[in-house]
Amino acid sequence: MIRRGLRRAALFIVALALVAVTWELYVAFGPEDGGEVLGMRILPRASERAMPHTWEMGQRLFDPEVRGQDRPIWLAVTGYAWYTFRMALVGFLLGCTFGIALAVLMSRFRVVERGLLPYVVASQTVPLIALAPQVAALGGNWDLPKWTWVAALGAFLAFFPVSVATLKGLSSTSAASLELMDSYAASWWTTLTKLRFPAAMPYIIPGMKLGATAAVIGVIVSEVSTGVRGVGFASLTYAQKATSDPAQVYTAVFGAALLGLAMFGLVVGFELLVMRNRPAEGSS
Amino acid sequence: MNNSAVVNPVPSDAVVVDGVSMVFNEGQQNQVEALGSIDLVIRPGDFVSLIGPSGCGKSTLLRLIANLLDPTAGSVLVNGKSASQARVEQDYGMAFQQSGLFEWRNVQKNIELPLELKGWSKARRRERSAEMLELVKLSDFAAHMPWQLSGGMQQRVAIARALAAHPPLLLMDEPFGALDEMTREHMQAELLRICAAAETTVVFVTHSIPEAVYLSNRVVVMSPRPGRITEIIDVDLGDDRDEDSREDDEFYARITDVREALRGADRVAGARGIEDR
Repeated sequence: MIRRGLRRAALFIVALALVAVTWELYVAFGPEDGGEVLGMRILPRASERAMPHTWEMGQRLFDPEVRGQDRPIWLAVTGYAWYTFRMALVGFLLGCTFGIALAVLMSRFRVVERGLLPYVVASQTVPLIALAPQVAALGGNWDLPKWTWVAALGAFLAFFPVSVATLKGLSSTSAASLELMDSYAASWWTTLTKLRFPAAMPYIIPGMKLGATAAVIGVIVSEVSTGVRGVGFASLTYAQKATSDPAQVYTAVFGAALLGLAMFGLVVGFELLVMRNRPAEGSS
Repeated sequence: MNNSAVVNPVPSDAVVVDGVSMVFNEGQQNQVEALGSIDLVIRPGDFVSLIGPSGCGKSTLLRLIANLLDPTAGSVLVNGKSASQARVEQDYGMAFQQSGLFEWRNVQKNIELPLELKGWSKARRRERSAEMLELVKLSDFAAHMPWQLSGGMQQRVAIARALAAHPPLLLMDEPFGALDEMTREHMQAELLRICAAAETTVVFVTHSIPEAVYLSNRVVVMSPRPGRITEIIDVDLGDDRDEDSREDDEFYARITDVREALRGADRVAGARGIEDR
């Protein structure tokens, strides 16, 4: 167990190093002004302004956000990321609750499934960037703090994978187990809590993993269009200074990546807790 | 041998099946007449096997007794009550071919499931599950997860779960069908011991002739499309049957009887799917 953990950590570091090396190789040998493939300009410019060296990004972390400040930028970015993390977490939990409740409702009443599922799918085709300002404006009417609306938009993206996965999980209970509960004359609710739900966990958890990252994306995108000052907002402000300080924007990118990893890690922790006594995948 | 199925049913009978027929998808293109006019009385303490080729409706008959299906015509009494009331009051326990254990519950919690649903206190459940674990000789495995057990052990847990609430009736649908022959014979002997200790009546669906004869005091032979009882064969191996009973003349004689009864049924409907081993 510990050895496997160490191996995974080592692999992670190796993968990270590979990305850095690839980056540096492109900076060193890539076309300074970008390039064309099959007549289309798709190769990025390898100039130092567009692609700063990895060590510059690393160094930048320890310089202040604005010249003259004492606080290094990594502290500032961590602060932004922490704020975004909390909103994403609230959004994720909201999304899970709503998504699971919706799936239970849909699995209980086929009419609801047939009537609602198309709208659930359609909801995900609405561009968040267009929706966010509207939702924020609505939020103003209700006198709620802005961050709650950003979290709600995270939930809006997170509920979908959770809901679809839960619906699939709830409908894949084995017929024999259902018959067993039937032979005990167990109620619908008892069958749900004692059988259907625990049996659906192997389906729900992958849905939650997708939902966790979706919540992060939802919150970051919504920050940009609502002006809530998390890591998404920071990326935007830093990007505006990219010409004079190209490495700075990447510090925000690191913050966002770290935050996504943290959210994902939370779900993995939950999985380890819930699935600790289940047979390993592939066996049984 | 005894061809008359209904012999004056009395309220104390474990199961009374009276003129039951079962049609699936009635009135539709894919209508199937699964059972045609079944009469069967099972006395308390009986071990009754239902045997017949695939599609003869033996599992359907078991599910009608369990009230997992409602008959198209006729009535089923269990323990002197309607089948639906008997189900609500958990008057029977059930075991299937797949042990159907919940993989997220350990052995003990699996056995306690029916007790939990009955609203028993934790202390009372603990006491009963310990008793059941001892009965099926798995006391050392209380904290194991089902997937850590062999197939035979899983079935023993399933039997313990089915009997946990001390129901007077045990319904089994090919419970040993997925086990290898050695384990299967061992489980048959274990089942007899457990049922004698628990004083339960058993209805047992199988497609193995030796299994039916070894376990039962009555073997109900069925024929397919629509399922009917063609013959009921009494087996007199005594209450203390053991591994030696498998060498008994009575054992071989009854196996021959059941086989011939099945051949008769076969001639009626051209059936397949019976194990001779």
